[in-house]
Amino acid sequence: MTISLAVPDILVARARAGDLEALEALYRAFETPVYNVALRMLRTPEDAEDVLQETFLEVVRSIKQYRGEGHLWGWIKRIAASKALMRIRRNQVRATEEFDEETVGAHVGHADGAPGHEGPGAVAGAPARIDLERAFERLSETSRSVVWLHDVEGYTHEEIAELMGKTVSFSKSQLARAHARLRRMLDAEGAAP
Amino acid sequence: MMHCTIDDLLAFKENEASGWARQHLETCPACRAELEALYQRIAALKALPVRRPARDRWPAVRDTLRAERRRQRRRWGAWSLSAAAGIALLLLIRPGPAGRVDAAELERVKQQSATLEAELERYDPDQRVTSGRTAALAAALEDRIAAIDGELAQVGMPEAPLRGAELVKLWQERVDAMQQLMTVHVTRAAYVGL
Repeated sequence: MTISLAVPDILVARARAGDLEALEALYRAFETPVYNVALRMLRTPEDAEDVLQETFLEVVRSIKQYRGEGHLWGWIKRIAASKALMRIRRNQVRATEEFDEETVGAHVGHADGAPGHEGPGAVAGAPARIDLERAFERLSETSRSVVWLHDVEGYTHEEIAELMGKTVSFSKSQLARAHARLRRMLDAEGAAP
Repeated sequence: MMHCTIDDLLAFKENEASGWARQHLETCPACRAELEALYQRIAALKALPVRRPARDRWPAVRDTLRAERRRQRRRWGAWSLSAAAGIALLLLIRPGPAGRVDAAELERVKQQSATLEAELERYDPDQRVTSGRTAALAAALEDRIAAIDGELAQVGMPEAPLRGAELVKLWQERVDAMQQLMTVHVTRAAYVGL
């Protein structure tokens, strides 16, 4: 989901002055994109809604600090990603992720024994949309976050590492493992021949 | 035969692939197909359907913001009466007879504001049941006061010094809005017998 939301400067100026109607207009403009970023990173719609609320509380509290450098959506998206990652860290207490990750290999086995894909003819065509969505939902929250922020929202590994408080190589290895697992799940579901 | 790993393919996508991987991709149809599948997977992720939240979370955000503003308003009222703030504000008022009049008037209207602030404490809407219409009216007035407070806070900014008369006018607007808010609360309290 690529979003380029343009908001009139006058609306931002009114929101910065504390005008509640302008703040609500900003909420209405960015509600769905924020929810989608959170939903793709987190496991449940309820968690995503909570992050939506936390994000906008932060937005209305700190919009005065937004000086107009960069796109407003970029600023809001960063807050949303940060809130979602905080929630993921809280959710990790449940310790379900470890089990999830242990079952995932970084590479898909080759038909000829080499690491990587499964050789000629193993992959062709785009995976079916619903299958991809289901497979994506089976990834751990951390893996989903890295994939979504990198591949869809266009964050660099450096930016993701900073947001997560991890290293660049952590972000890169998460992405590789997630793609390997996605590919394997899609193959298993017959989305790819 | 050695093929590209998923790391090689992701690195290629980022223009960071090794010389070996770049060369291999030129000659290996299987790895090129794998790369194409990666691109298509990412394109499909970008095209996933947009979901909408089941519940509207704006009312919760708005109510929290209003409660915070009420608390800030009380703090602001108390702060504005402090000696330090008084001195700082008076410095913005031009010297001379007109300035002295402004300063006296400013102190009077600030005192009025503080008195109303204390009175409003008795009608804390967080702890009272109000009708939808009354709540909306009170909320609109509180938003107005918050906006005035925002303007008053700018007085401290070097780029926007207000003249004494303008400052008095702003404080008077604050008092007027607070008086209206007070009327709303008093009327509601009388109506429900509180």
